[in-house]
Amino acid sequence: MPAELTVEERRTPVAARGEGVLNVLVALAASLFLLFLVAPLVGLVGGGGVRGVRALATDAELRSSLALTIATATLATLLGIVGATPVAYALARGRFRGRAIVSAMIDLPLLIPHPVAGIALLLVLGRNTPLGSGLWALGLQITGSVTGIVCAMLFVSAPLYVSAAREAFDRVDPRFEGVARTLGDSRWRALRRVTLPLAWRGILAAAIVMWARAVSEFGAIVILVYHPRVASVLSYERFTAYGLREALPVAAILVLLALIPLALLRALRGDDLLPSRRR
Amino acid sequence: MTSCLRDADDVHTHQARPVIALEGIHATVGDFELADISFVVPQGAYGIVIGPTGAGKTTLVESIAGLVPITRGRLTLGDTELTHAAPEQRRLSIVYQHAYLFPHLNVRENVGYGSTSSRVTVEMLERFGLGEVAGRDVRALSGGERQLVALARALARRPEVLLLDEPFAALDPRRRVTVRRELRTIYFERRFTVLQVTHDFHEAGLLGDVAMVLDRGRMLQVGEPEDLFRRPSTPVVADFLGAENVFAGVAQPIRDESPDWKPSTDAEDVEHAVAFTTRGITLYALGHVIPGAAHAVIRADDISLSRSAGASSVRNQFRGRVVEIASAGAITRVTVDVSGLQLVAAVTTRSVDELRIAPGVEVFAAFKATAVHLC
Repeated sequence: MPAELTVEERRTPVAARGEGVLNVLVALAASLFLLFLVAPLVGLVGGGGVRGVRALATDAELRSSLALTIATATLATLLGIVGATPVAYALARGRFRGRAIVSAMIDLPLLIPHPVAGIALLLVLGRNTPLGSGLWALGLQITGSVTGIVCAMLFVSAPLYVSAAREAFDRVDPRFEGVARTLGDSRWRALRRVTLPLAWRGILAAAIVMWARAVSEFGAIVILVYHPRVASVLSYERFTAYGLREALPVAAILVLLALIPLALLRALRGDDLLPSRRR
Repeated sequence: MTSCLRDADDVHTHQARPVIALEGIHATVGDFELADISFVVPQGAYGIVIGPTGAGKTTLVESIAGLVPITRGRLTLGDTELTHAAPEQRRLSIVYQHAYLFPHLNVRENVGYGSTSSRVTVEMLERFGLGEVAGRDVRALSGGERQLVALARALARRPEVLLLDEPFAALDPRRRVTVRRELRTIYFERRFTVLQVTHDFHEAGLLGDVAMVLDRGRMLQVGEPEDLFRRPSTPVVADFLGAENVFAGVAQPIRDESPDWKPSTDAEDVEHAVAFTTRGITLYALGHVIPGAAHAVIRADDISLSRSAGASSVRNQFRGRVVEIASAGAITRVTVDVSGLQLVAAVTTRSVDELRIAPGVEVFAAFKATAVHLC
């Protein structure tokens, strides 16, 4: 009686060859995809990185543009943390009617073209609108101002913060809060002593993602505020006015700037860099 | 069977001031509804809620704790109506099966979280043998240590009521004994009121002064554990509480006297002799019963076995043949087939050996009429 065949032996040569071809095709498709993502960025930094870093020393307009970008993105992120954290918490913990609708409304700015987001903001905050003219009368100019840049950044990037912060709260079992409350904490005290310490990494990661998204915003900002110019608008202007060669250093600096939040996120998820070990 | 937590001069009488009183409580979590729950746990008593998985036990303790809102009914803790009060106003603590220790705090910080003073924190740490691990990360503790920390943390608040949600379920048997012993000792000392939920009916008999059976969000029966075991209100309760002999049949009051029963003479509490027929066999019982379909419940340890029809005065005596023997240490469960009716008797392993009981052997199974509970 012949010995029982192993799985390997039972496969026909044709089937084995078919799987081999499939493996090659999948590997090829994955490699092309990675190349497609990485090649433009590597080309950009390679072609303009050094000149961009040098320009930081000589190009005052680039420096002020970068400073403006970083300052406005930071302000927008801080406003997002203050305003959107309670929303994220409510969406994670609350079981209120209309929660799904609120959630969908918050995600909407992520899905519309960003110039459209800019137009929508202009319709509400423009100088000829009731709100815009009211704010103007109070001395708060939106269009063509730093405030407008912050508004545009906040509008397009806060939904990312809400989504990620909500996940961070979701990961904290509500029973921890429940136990804290039976141990004498009010709702706020339990939030401060238990939930926030357990969720802070996720909330910080959410803020970093929001900041990175705000720094990279162009479409909504350019509709509301052309001057003063943030870095993305500056790179666009130099490209249209002087061509690729002049736009390259600004664009490369923006890519290098994006590496900062990327590194911070990686540091926050430290162990993600290491291959997981089975115990 | 009596509770091993009771002293001879038992203070847990039902005349004691009620500490936990629920009147027609309703609570909803998602699609699950806890409906019309009423019971009282007296001050210093140990209450047990027994029910299978999904019965709503956790929802019940969380609604008492104020973590799940009560939609209808009334909850009183001590002398205060606290149906809608915030959890922090209720002077109670909760311990879950999975401890829920705060992972960002060490052992000492966990125990001290709601403690009334640092002196109490130190006392609790020492009390539960946690002094040596006080500075340790709680994630590095064993399951038993975690549960001890959870108990110490809950008791450091000096609660009037301690709510326990399957606190021993996740522990291995050895650890379970240790943690239970610690809890029992401190309970004896402090005499706070406890409400513990469990799916393990043995714990009810072991710990409880008052027990409630919960199933699918409804309270099936409330009473002393002994009462629940001996007189389950429904076949479902009997089955869940581990009664081996539950038979469906027809009950009929009869005029009869027998040496092993003594009907009550109280005019308002007249107990009748009852003939209960199941599968062509008639059992005799005693109780209040409406003629018609009923269930008879007989605890296995109420059935005795002998090799000959003795001079026993018991009303129920049947000849049968042993079909199965299951030994578990000192107690052996013997299944006897009586004309198609399978009776399970719990007898000592020693008597099984002495009587030379084995499968196929003919035996006589006997039990008193008072051991037959009709529901």
